[in-house]
Amino acid sequence: MLPLWPGMLPFAVAYAVTARAAGLSVFDTCLMSLTVFGGASQFAAAGLFAQGASGLGIVLTTFLLNVRHVLYGLSLSRDLALTPVQRLTAAQFLTDEAYGVVTLEARQDPSKRTFAFLLGAELSLFTVWNLSTLLGALGGEVLPSPEALGAGVIFPLAFLGLLVPLLVDRLTLVVALFSGLLAWGLAQLLPGGLVVLVAGVAGALLGAYFSTRRTPEAQA
Amino acid sequence: MSALAVILLMWLVTYLPRWLGLNLGHLQLPAFWQAFLRFVPVSVFPALLVPDVLGSPEWPQRLMGCVVAVALLLRTRQLALGILGGFAAYWLARVLSG
Repeated sequence: MLPLWPGMLPFAVAYAVTARAAGLSVFDTCLMSLTVFGGASQFAAAGLFAQGASGLGIVLTTFLLNVRHVLYGLSLSRDLALTPVQRLTAAQFLTDEAYGVVTLEARQDPSKRTFAFLLGAELSLFTVWNLSTLLGALGGEVLPSPEALGAGVIFPLAFLGLLVPLLVDRLTLVVALFSGLLAWGLAQLLPGGLVVLVAGVAGALLGAYFSTRRTPEAQA
Repeated sequence: MSALAVILLMWLVTYLPRWLGLNLGHLQLPAFWQAFLRFVPVSVFPALLVPDVLGSPEWPQRLMGCVVAVALLLRTRQLALGILGGFAAYWLARVLSG
């Protein structure tokens, strides 16, 4: 899990600084890391709080961002046999990173197809994420005002950091450009939370349409 | 809605898909919806970041930061380097433009 930590630490600190700049308390900032525990959705929520988006818009955007976790669960539960209690526990700490590491390792080494290995991977990420959040939330106290620091630009930069590795072919690039420009256009007409939902769903539908139409056999 | 209520609802809508997936190992989603779920991050991330850059009063400086960040990310694949390099480029543009 060690190689993932250097990536998580600045991201969690940046999330905490953005959340504090958006007006969330230290308690709320840390509570979100403890409960939601999802980098992208926490960052999105912090940005939407800053834009003054509605609570409903923030919750729906979170849902849209995290509904992909259904896929991870589906895939993991084929590799690992879990009891109902283990599922309740593992679900709280499941992330993109934990899924990625566990499926990779479990394919290379079948002895790692256990609940203990999954939970260990999940908890090590959870610990780093929450300590870094606390660090950023408290560090934000002693720093000058977020505007003076230019903290606003951290938000798009962090999302670029998540997006660029996903742009693996022409279709992903087209989808990203489409939804980004659509969101920019819609931003003149609709409130923030809604823009992300509409452009996000439209882009994903576009991607699903072209990828399943173009290579139906690759989806099996 | 209070921030606390928003956070607790966010928790709910995050936990449920995670738990649901772990319980549906036998289920086979149609290819279209599997692809839809995979494209959600590709689509949502730009929808979050593009208006935040181009819609900002300081958009030229932010755009400069983003261009440098993308170049660094493509070369190094290091999230931290992309953020820090982009932040430095943004500041350089901000200082130069007075």
